[in-house]
Amino acid sequence: MSEEREQILKIQDLDISFQTTAGTVHAIRGVNIDLYKGETVAIVGESGSGKSVTMKAVMGILASNATVTNGTVEFSYHHADGSPETVNILEKDKKWIRRHINGKRIAMVFQDPMTSLDPTMTIGKQIMEGMIWHFKTPKKEAWDKAVQLLKEVGIEDAEKRMKNYPHQLSGGMRQRVVIAIALSCNPDLLICDEPTTALDVTIQAKIIELIKRVQKERGISVIYITHDLGVVAKVADYVNVMYAGKIVEKGKINEIFYEPKHPYTWGLLSAMPNLDTDDERLYTIPGSPPNLLNEKPGDAFAPRNKYALEIDEKADPPMFQISDTHYAATWLLDPRAPKAEMPAELKTRIEKMKKEANEHGSRL
Amino acid sequence: MAVDYSAKPLLTVDGLKQYFKVSKSFTVHAVENVSFKIYPGETYGLVGESGSGKSTIGRSIIRLYDPTAGKIQFDGTEISGKLSTHDNHILRTQMQMIFQDPMASLNPRKKIGDIIGEGLDIHHAYMNRAERAEKIQDILAKVGLAPEHASRYPHQFSGGQRQRVGIARALIMNPKLIIADECISALDVSIQAQVVNLMKDIQQETGTAYLFIAHDLSMVKYISDRIGVLHLGHLLETGTTEEIFSNPIHPYTRSLLSAIPAPNPIVEKQRVAESYDYKTSGIDYNQGTDHLVSGSHYVKCTDEEFAKWTKRVI
Repeated sequence: MSEEREQILKIQDLDISFQTTAGTVHAIRGVNIDLYKGETVAIVGESGSGKSVTMKAVMGILASNATVTNGTVEFSYHHADGSPETVNILEKDKKWIRRHINGKRIAMVFQDPMTSLDPTMTIGKQIMEGMIWHFKTPKKEAWDKAVQLLKEVGIEDAEKRMKNYPHQLSGGMRQRVVIAIALSCNPDLLICDEPTTALDVTIQAKIIELIKRVQKERGISVIYITHDLGVVAKVADYVNVMYAGKIVEKGKINEIFYEPKHPYTWGLLSAMPNLDTDDERLYTIPGSPPNLLNEKPGDAFAPRNKYALEIDEKADPPMFQISDTHYAATWLLDPRAPKAEMPAELKTRIEKMKKEANEHGSRL
Repeated sequence: MAVDYSAKPLLTVDGLKQYFKVSKSFTVHAVENVSFKIYPGETYGLVGESGSGKSTIGRSIIRLYDPTAGKIQFDGTEISGKLSTHDNHILRTQMQMIFQDPMASLNPRKKIGDIIGEGLDIHHAYMNRAERAEKIQDILAKVGLAPEHASRYPHQFSGGQRQRVGIARALIMNPKLIIADECISALDVSIQAQVVNLMKDIQQETGTAYLFIAHDLSMVKYISDRIGVLHLGHLLETGTTEEIFSNPIHPYTRSLLSAIPAPNPIVEKQRVAESYDYKTSGIDYNQGTDHLVSGSHYVKCTDEEFAKWTKRVI
């Protein structure tokens, strides 16, 4: 990575609430994310932690009962003539976003390829739709480009497949088509919202390798939303761990995996099933994620955290800096806090991971 | 938990075939000649990608489908043909199923207590209301839910809790075999672990056997005593969890194992998963016969393939 990094996306202090019949749900509570050109950021967290909502805010496709109470989402891009431009997406109206951002500069790959494709349209038409709408590409040219894209995402017999309907394709193929649609307008940023959760492991491996290859070839930035830490390890440069609408730990991938600081990250890492060990029981994080409907003071993770301190019940911890890139929001990092170590099992596991990594490093 | 493999098997599936006729000229061979045994108190994991026929096997066993050919024996009784009312009755209490999507498999208009108690109602397994309520409370406690949950509706629960209800409903009849069809696939990773641990605890306590159907090998490893790998309706490789994970023979099993991403960024970034394509691999599943590798580890392949694959490993 070069020293001069071009910033693509800057989310600052994002705060989002939802008005529901049961009351106001404070779903996103001050999220900061930075993304630079050509890099991959992963957002990890349980369902309901606000990963998808954050990304929907970036795309300007929040549900109608959502209100952004605070924060900015700055997106930088280049015009066709090469002049740079930075906009705050939250200030723009829906129509403008649809014209200039959605699909054209930021494209999204959703979790379930069956619901994100139109069952009544051939896949060729669906790939061409965006190009024709955004760039007024002539039909013939769009067709050729769509065939190219299908080949690029690894679909054989691309010409024949153009006339197929989504139901004629398998799950993995459908997700490839969705990726082809996302790439059709040469976006600067690709948001992948759990792109492989609905797929089998073998197909998951292929789709991830596809996204990685495409990213390398085109030099685009990718935001990866997932709850699978194995996938994160494979794709991400930076990781944001999210819990109850807040980022609790962020850092470079190696910092998060080899030197995690937040108890929630410890829990997530420990809960990963490990193929090499033969422990009888899986580690679980006790309890379940909090209901954000009745917000309580203090750290949202405290009730599930066996390392919780007294202060956790009173005040939300700020982000403590560990290194230039590594931050964690836990009172354990406060100089006044008692020394707390990660669980012993996790420690041995990380030691083992480091040893494996060294073996791999020396082989290079 | 130690399983007594010298005991009589609880479930014997022998040469099961399940075909579905789509049209006059086209029949789907969903399950092709599958044989395996499940012993009392054991967990047998059935793994494979979608479309490999793993759910079909589960459904054939519990008699949701009529097998095209083959024999299924449960607890010494043949259950693949027509059954007497008495046998049917026994079967329906002793074999239970947990489904994949807990929201879709729980009736949204019924209270949890009534969903769980439905089996009791049908089989008249209680003397009075008090006994019924007590049985439901016991089961709720066993799966880690509170007694007051009995009067709530499914939509008031989180995904993990709903799956606990699904387990409670299967457990209330005290079954000898529970078929868990992708019962954790729809859940979050941390909740998956909770449910898997719960299922293990229940097995310790009640000694039920599980047929655990899943596509995620990493979770199957934690719960299963033995594993069967299924692809395109053929049972390609079967053996104890240890045997399958330490010495996978069939290229398909190897590709499944290598597709699981490891949570170790430096290693994972360099690793390329082994890929496997049936069409180009030149393997014909129909030609294969069972070859013994060691212990209870069998691979389905031809003689030449067996020689080739085992040589590569050693």
